[in-house]
Amino acid sequence: MISEQLKKSLQQRVETAITPREAAVDVMKELQRHYGWLTDEAVGEAGELLGLSPLQVEELATFYEKIYRRPVTGKLIQVCDSISCWSGCCDGIIEHLKKRLDVELGGSSADGKFTLVPCCCLGRCGDAPVMVIGETFYGNLTPEKVDQILEKER
Amino acid sequence: MPKLIIDDIEVEVPAGTSVLEAARSVGITIPHFCYHPALAIAAACRLCAVKMLDGPVKGIQMSCALPAQDGMVVSTTDPDALKMRKLVIEWLMINHPHDCPVCDEGGECLLQDFTIAGGHGIRRYQGKKRTHVNQYLGEGIYHEMNRCIQCYRCVRFYQEYAGGTDFGVTGCAGRVYFGRFDDGPLESPFSGNLVDICPTGVFTDKTGRFRARYWDYQYAPSICPHCSAGCNLSPQAYHREVIKIVARRNDEVNGWFICDRARFDKSDLNDPLRPRQALVDGSPVEWEAALNALATRLREFVQSHGADSLALVGSTRLSLEAGILLAELAARYKGVRLCYFIDPAEAQLSLSKVEWVPAGMAASQAELREADFIAILPCDLMEESPMIALAIRQAFVKGAKVYLVAPHLTALNLERLPFQVQVVPELADVPLGEAKRGIVVAGAGFADLKGLEAVPTGVKFVLLQPGPNSFGAALLAREYRAVPLREAIASGKVKGILALETDLPEELRQGLTFFAAADWRNNGAAEPASVFLPTSAWAETGGTWINYEGRAQRYRQAYKTGLPLRGLPARYYGSQEAEPPAHPPRVHRAVAPGGDTRSAWMLVAELIFKLTGEPAAEPYAGKWAPLKHIDPEGPGMRLPAELLAG
Ligand code: SF4
Ligand code: SF4
Ligand code: FES
Ligand code: FES
Repeated sequence: MISEQLKKSLQQRVETAITPREAAVDVMKELQRHYGWLTDEAVGEAGELLGLSPLQVEELATFYEKIYRRPVTGKLIQVCDSISCWSGCCDGIIEHLKKRLDVELGGSSADGKFTLVPCCCLGRCGDAPVMVIGETFYGNLTPEKVDQILEKER
Repeated sequence: MPKLIIDDIEVEVPAGTSVLEAARSVGITIPHFCYHPALAIAAACRLCAVKMLDGPVKGIQMSCALPAQDGMVVSTTDPDALKMRKLVIEWLMINHPHDCPVCDEGGECLLQDFTIAGGHGIRRYQGKKRTHVNQYLGEGIYHEMNRCIQCYRCVRFYQEYAGGTDFGVTGCAGRVYFGRFDDGPLESPFSGNLVDICPTGVFTDKTGRFRARYWDYQYAPSICPHCSAGCNLSPQAYHREVIKIVARRNDEVNGWFICDRARFDKSDLNDPLRPRQALVDGSPVEWEAALNALATRLREFVQSHGADSLALVGSTRLSLEAGILLAELAARYKGVRLCYFIDPAEAQLSLSKVEWVPAGMAASQAELREADFIAILPCDLMEESPMIALAIRQAFVKGAKVYLVAPHLTALNLERLPFQVQVVPELADVPLGEAKRGIVVAGAGFADLKGLEAVPTGVKFVLLQPGPNSFGAALLAREYRAVPLREAIASGKVKGILALETDLPEELRQGLTFFAAADWRNNGAAEPASVFLPTSAWAETGGTWINYEGRAQRYRQAYKTGLPLRGLPARYYGSQEAEPPAHPPRVHRAVAPGGDTRSAWMLVAELIFKLTGEPAAEPYAGKWAPLKHIDPEGPGMRLPAELLAG
């Protein structure tokens, strides 16, 4: 359940959009901030706000990789595996992250501090390989640098 | 009109035609998956590659998304184009299961056809295939997502064309998934079209899965019997059982699609309790014996009671041909009551609708799809004629204004309509004067024709009728001065009835001295009839029905009547054992079990011969002559003015 206040502000957001779909990402992001991830309940609520069916919200939610339809534990690490980072050897970085956190891609570390997922190009190809933890960006990664960052973020 | 050259053939096509369609117009099929003439262009599959040798664009292009232009020189066989198509096929087949033999689509699968056509035969990909979890989509459609090639046809149809909101595409890139939010029956009453439109076996007809292959089917062009829209379809039968019903293209009528009722409701045809045995006084007899008995009893009845005590009754589902012959039979007995309707009000209404619409002012489904103003008079379209609603949606999507005239909104189910309407209390509130292509739509129950008088000239009409051939029955009734059965009975004279493919209310049989019936439907007429003759159902015979707009459409026999082989009773195996063996009977017989039936028109013709010694006259004579040569695979025939005029 969302608060009346949040509901009101989201309704306002939808009203100012030219088409409701245009406001969908904002609505989903706010609901995600509220619940921690976009729960089934949140999908239904987004649908009501936007005048879409749950399926139509799901279509959008599952298209955008920064909308999470599954619970996210701790901080989210998104590591780019698109073409520039791939040529910058992101494979090694991903392997290193997996080893350090002892998780597979999509999994959460045992201490509940991190969840590791791959992502598409973050638009910072010049700094390849790159990752984002929470909202903080890190580029020109090396295994050593990754270790330091994890230490800091933990 | 752009002129271009495709594979050395000069082609001229209307502006806006794609290169793919231009090629098709000269008989060249460019392989394609995502392209479908009824849907928006997606250019998603990349299969339709051609090479542009000269003209405004050069090199490899997607022919479905490229409008034909002057000066184009196109090669569909250039090695580069062939290679591209071959690679695309190989890529689409990477994740596809290699198990056509256990796929219900096998044999009628576009993916099979174009995989072969594209020359992909050997699998190089060694990795793991992407797999999905299927969903339960209701009792109509089986879902098998692993067979998907991401052509987006299904979602374009379901959401854009049909206005459904509970099915779509989720995920992205290698994870795209076509399904619902969660398991559950598809809500759209047009969902069955997914079966036809998916180029692979993702959606198959659950009501006929794994019963037969495409090449096993007997099928023929036919017409939907469920309402007066006259949508074109094709029943597919195997061993005397209708396994599936598929949509049949008619651009003037239903386009490419049919509603779910047309597709999935085969219960009447396949009903194991269908009357298939000729009966005299309740005892089984040969067809010929029953016909003889019918002739004798009819003759005796007329002798002792007079012809005006006899009613010959047809119906709005009877073929036009049988209706014409029934009138011929009636003409041999002066004073006999000829009926095509039971209810006087219905008869009156059907005819007044036929006569009310000025010649050329009935709108087809195609015209509905192109309308700019549509006024719907109170009716539940989704219940009555869903395809009419689907046609209106196409106009709505293109910007048409749709109004629903509803003095009392309560009774109407707006939610189900696949378009938005503006509700107005009266027809006068619809600004039809502004319309260029305005159409007024009314359901079968709409009776206030006077109220339509104010409609500006130039506006066309869709006045629905209750039965698939109500329009034809109304014409027949007028032509042959028929009376509605209730009216005939009210005169107090009627003592005998011959009911031909008519659902007679039980109370109308009370107090008769003679009742005979002929039907294929299990409607309770066989038992009380002193003589009963089984007829062949619409899918099992040929005929003509006239839809609400006055379009005569011919249907052909798809298969021969008979008890479905599956579940054939033990007596047909020459034994009375309870459990019949799993193979066809080895008892020789001239007709299939339960197959000793006639078309209704043939029955009447035989009866005329029996009674008079003269062969029945050709039905397509005189006034009806123009209807003789209707192409069952064509658009049908709008009745000429002289047939419509009273
Ligand atoms: S969908 Fe077509 S190609 Fe795929 S398994 Fe079925 S028949 Fe074969
Ligand atoms: S399910 Fe069928 S129609 Fe839909 S995208 Fe996949 S292959 Fe195309
Ligand atoms: S490819 Fe990784 S940031 Fe662009
Ligand atoms: S048919 Fe042209 S890209 Fe699919």
